[in-house]
Amino acid sequence: MSAFEALVESHQDKVYGLALRMTRSEADAAEITQDTFLSAYQHLKDFRGDAAFGSWVHRIAANHALMRLRHRRVTQAAEVELQGPEFTPRGTLADYPVSDWSRDAEEKALDAELGQAIRQSADRLPEGYREVFLLKDVDGLSYEQIAEVTGDSIPAIKSRLHRARLALREAIDAFYNRDNRGP
Amino acid sequence: MYTCKDSINLLLEYLEGEMSPEESRHLQEHLSGCSPCEEFLNTYRATPSLCKRALAARMPKEVSSKLTEFLRTKIKSAS
Ligand SMILES: [Zn+2]
Repeated sequence: MSAFEALVESHQDKVYGLALRMTRSEADAAEITQDTFLSAYQHLKDFRGDAAFGSWVHRIAANHALMRLRHRRVTQAAEVELQGPEFTPRGTLADYPVSDWSRDAEEKALDAELGQAIRQSADRLPEGYREVFLLKDVDGLSYEQIAEVTGDSIPAIKSRLHRARLALREAIDAFYNRDNRGP
Repeated sequence: MYTCKDSINLLLEYLEGEMSPEESRHLQEHLSGCSPCEEFLNTYRATPSLCKRALAARMPKEVSSKLTEFLRTKIKSAS
């Protein structure tokens, strides 16, 4: 196996996963993966080492995925309300006691129902929030890389990431508290 | 003194260590006196890794074979 094929093999799951999550289409994800590694091959002499290669293919895959999303998106629904914590008029958390599931979450194999709830909640995020959240928290791109591919400012990216995390935290919290709270 | 709302708004910056020492002190003051917020912080911090696990995906075998074939053909025709 050539050195290039070894690089492809070690990065293909991550590239394909990124493209699949972003586009939600297996066909698009397969094509994006092909295009990404083909351009990587054409630029192979520019890389020094595996880390540089990995970071480069991630950025290129994100670029390809975003281009397809922008192309596909005809009308974006009016700003959707994002889920988040609720506060009293005085700014204190309205909905507590909150059960602290953070430790529980680290140890156990992921509950199938919880996985489903997370995927649904991620799917419901408005596009700009979903993209930033996937690229940063799931695919591990840096803020600089995300700014480069989306054309948005880093403060705007951070603010959307924060709100996306709040919405997802809320979905996870609802899962853990499903037996404790009324409908 | 920060409210819960102020504190929660600042969690991302706080976790990334990007707050001024003064803001950071205000936030820590609130957190140490407010157990709902402390638990909120813990669960906020646990959220990305849980999501990452829920959204993990592997490339199907046949897609991987197609990719290898595609690249071999392209690379051969280019050289
Ligand atoms: Zn509080």
